[in-house]
Amino acid sequence: MSLLELKGISKIYGDLKALDNINLSVENGEWVAIMGPSGSGKSTMMNIIGCMDKPSKGEVLLDGVDIAKESAKNLTAIRRDKIGLIFQQFHLVNYLTAVENVMVAQYYHSIPDEKEAMEALARVGLAERARHLPSQLSGGEQQRVCIARALINHPEIVLADEPTGNLDEANENIVLDLFHQLHEEHTTLIVVTHDPEVAEVAQRTITLEHGRIKSDKINENFGK
Amino acid sequence: MFLRMIRGAFARQWKKMLIIALTIMLGTSLATAMINVMLDVGDKVNQELKTYGANITVLPKSASVMSDLYEMEGDAGDTGAYLLESEIGNVKTIFWAFNIVDFAPFIDTQISLQSGSEAKLVGTWFNHHLDLPTGESLDAGVNSLRSWWDLDEGEWINEQDADKDENVAMVGTVLAKREGISVGDVIHVEGPADGADLTVTGIFDAGGDEDEQIFAPLDLVQKVSDTDGYISSIEVSALTTPDNELAEKAAKDPGSLTIAQYELWYCTAYVSSICYQIQEAITDSVAAPVRQVAESEGAIMDKTELLMILITILSLIGSALGITNLVTASVMERSNEIGLFKAVGAKDSSISGLVLTEILVTGVVGAVVGYFLGFGFAQIIGHTVFNSSIEMKPFVIPIVAVLMLFVTLIGSIPAIRMLLRLDPAEVLHGR
Repeated sequence: MSLLELKGISKIYGDLKALDNINLSVENGEWVAIMGPSGSGKSTMMNIIGCMDKPSKGEVLLDGVDIAKESAKNLTAIRRDKIGLIFQQFHLVNYLTAVENVMVAQYYHSIPDEKEAMEALARVGLAERARHLPSQLSGGEQQRVCIARALINHPEIVLADEPTGNLDEANENIVLDLFHQLHEEHTTLIVVTHDPEVAEVAQRTITLEHGRIKSDKINENFGK
Repeated sequence: MFLRMIRGAFARQWKKMLIIALTIMLGTSLATAMINVMLDVGDKVNQELKTYGANITVLPKSASVMSDLYEMEGDAGDTGAYLLESEIGNVKTIFWAFNIVDFAPFIDTQISLQSGSEAKLVGTWFNHHLDLPTGESLDAGVNSLRSWWDLDEGEWINEQDADKDENVAMVGTVLAKREGISVGDVIHVEGPADGADLTVTGIFDAGGDEDEQIFAPLDLVQKVSDTDGYISSIEVSALTTPDNELAEKAAKDPGSLTIAQYELWYCTAYVSSICYQIQEAITDSVAAPVRQVAESEGAIMDKTELLMILITILSLIGSALGITNLVTASVMERSNEIGLFKAVGAKDSSISGLVLTEILVTGVVGAVVGYFLGFGFAQIIGHTVFNSSIEMKPFVIPIVAVLMLFVTLIGSIPAIRMLLRLDPAEVLHGR
């Protein structure tokens, strides 16, 4: 059974079909890049997979559970337990330090554990910057804090929305290296991106256009 | 973590929190000032009004019947009915004794002056010292009960002067002018039973019938009129609670009340319940309110209290609106942060709890400062309007605390509703 299955999902806003009859399966440990121009439905798909929105039609099976039929309360619980989110804008709480930002996810999940949060920061190379506020960190460092926060609760799927969109090339490479590590650890990664270079390093690339899947390709050079 | 988040929010938004605290502080200060003044204003207004004279008259029962039948003004002297002098002190032994501010007995008789003209001689207490069976002692009499009398010449009779001359009198200004009487003169009065030579200590202007009368110590007038041990009336000045339906019903017939109503009425300082208790304490007496004074007092107090209540309500509404605007603005400003908390799996209750805690902590700080500020306002009002301090009533603290908690929570409702409706996807992806 696939970890994630989208069966005929559509998202309709009035006359606009943001997603139109999407069928997709993502296996456990797979690294999938979702590409497409603006308005192609990437963010809508990410919101639905991330339990932050519901489709107008179709089924979204996560671990065999149709999350499209779950209540808002249950969706919050699923998001808390199974999904890690990485944002283009990082969305760090600016009055909390790097380690506290990681601990926020722990706090709302279970019990904050500073030692574990420090280990997560060390894993993304930010142990030395743990006590710094977001305003004292570079964009790349903030994104790494965001990644540490997404991973702290050991999610089944990590959803990254344009994770390198605000980063320079050096920081982009650091983030992609982290994704490689996650993939090697069998973390399921779904990365929404505009950037073909980011998509190329993924195991599989799905291209959306006008709310439909235009192409779904396995990257032959993956791992080389 | 919760505390770190609260601390962080305060550090980051201290200006906004300060404005929220100031809003709550102003609301609390106004509410505190108004409630304290409102609770004290009854006594203050009552005391103020008491300077305008007695509000209860006690007459012998038979005199009261005659008075009712023939709509007679004045006292019982003409009817030949009397109260016992020995029972005057009983006025201060009733359930509401503490509310009896002053009282004075009266007896009067017609006398002839040397010139051959007639006048009314009134016997009363001036500043009579009384030791009650309860162990309490007090001074009572017209010196304070008729505080509005204007002394044209001389001074009040002082009953407590060790070297006092018992044959003294105060003469009304009209009579004094007509008879050419001045302070220090000795006037001879001839009563129904005896005569007396009285030294005039003061000429007073009462602005009424009393200006044609002579006031002398009670004992002396009793001797002149051969009424030793008797008085014809007592005037009582009492602090009263404004009448309501229960008091009006009881005033008509206390027997019509249920036991619970009777207890409530008896244990409330309505003028009718005080009258009833005086009647119980003095044999064959009828105590009646001087209705005009009692009603004016009630009306003034009702209106003053209504004004205070309206100001309190308006200040609380103002605070609630201020809190609504400020907290909503704060939530809007923090929508990214709140959206993130929701995205990482925070429950609505957790986020609401976080925001409410921040507001309540701010509210407590504002309310504590506001309470003391409000108490200061109350003192300013007390000294400006009533020339005295407003008593600090501890039970105002929980009242104000509950009111401000209520206002803060009500004021936060729109922000909390907005927070609950916030969609993390919209906030985080700008959809």
